[in-house]
Amino acid sequence: QRFRFCGDLDCPDWVLAEISTLAKISSVKLKLICAQVLRDLLGEAIEYEKILKLTSDAKLESGDVKATIAVLGFILSSAAKHNVDSESLSSELQQLGLPKEHASGLCRSYEEKQSSLQDSLRACSLRLSQLGSVRWRVDYTLSSSELREVNEPLVHLTFNLRDGEPGRTAAVPVALSADKFRVLLAELKQAQALMNTLL
Amino acid sequence: KLNIGVDAVQHGVEGLTYLLTESSKLMISDIDFQDSIHVLGFSDELNKLLLQLYLDNRKEIRNILGELAPKLPSYHSLEWRLDVQLASRSLRQQIKPAVTIKLHLNQNEHQTAQVLQTDPSTLLHLIQQLEQALGEMKTNHCRRIVRNMK
Repeated sequence: QRFRFCGDLDCPDWVLAEISTLAKISSVKLKLICAQVLRDLLGEAIEYEKILKLTSDAKLESGDVKATIAVLGFILSSAAKHNVDSESLSSELQQLGLPKEHASGLCRSYEEKQSSLQDSLRACSLRLSQLGSVRWRVDYTLSSSELREVNEPLVHLTFNLRDGEPGRTAAVPVALSADKFRVLLAELKQAQALMNTLL
Repeated sequence: KLNIGVDAVQHGVEGLTYLLTESSKLMISDIDFQDSIHVLGFSDELNKLLLQLYLDNRKEIRNILGELAPKLPSYHSLEWRLDVQLASRSLRQQIKPAVTIKLHLNQNEHQTAQVLQTDPSTLLHLIQQLEQALGEMKTNHCRRIVRNMK
């Protein structure tokens, strides 16, 4: 059976298995655990002790607590990934055997944070390198070893690039004559105009 | 505390290490182990202790020895992105889809990443080849070998 929140594929076996673990926790506590998992997905610190306290009533083992966090993380991020609305998610979770109150509590938490989740997922999508900043300087060459009177402006640009995960920055220095710089600027303005037609 | 010279202790440790690693490597039986150390002329009690030490730690030593073999980079994770090129400096009004893949690999706790780019038809071909490779496991030839290894 195909599920939208799994990207129109079958639900993974481990998710199915953990639905019964979720049902052991009360629906109110489940909503609070969801809030914690959402914090983790959005890049804030997760408060593991709070989750342990919330699951202590259900008498879950430590392996079950971790499985609960993992399955909630999967459901919430996968639903955000495939842009599933909160009602469809609720009905699909109920089809998997999650009780109605649990599903609606989970989906209410999801609905509140759906757009922030999608923004955060968009930000960590694959990106090869990113322009951090540009520095420039204009010089005026008076003379050189080749020619006594040069009298030409020279533009120095330094592009600071940010590379993927290691947080490495690379500085790329470029020096251009005035004409080359004008060509570069014209081409970049054309590219910018094209980008604006798409926005 | 043992009242022997540093050299003697070092040689003792090295000798014991060699005995245990070679025995575990070759996976010799109890009897062969006992026969081998009998030559050294130790007391029976010491021989029994050594045998017990060998049997208790054999599995773990074998696990560690197994990890010492040279390894190729192994798969860690994969990130992908689907882009469409709409225009370039030389040509406007294009529609050129491309898939960019970042392959994360692990080699001896050293992480590397390879960036690859391909068009959708090459990607489909790649998927087809990999599925064929997986399909090889189901042929009679492979099945026979797997059965014999068990």
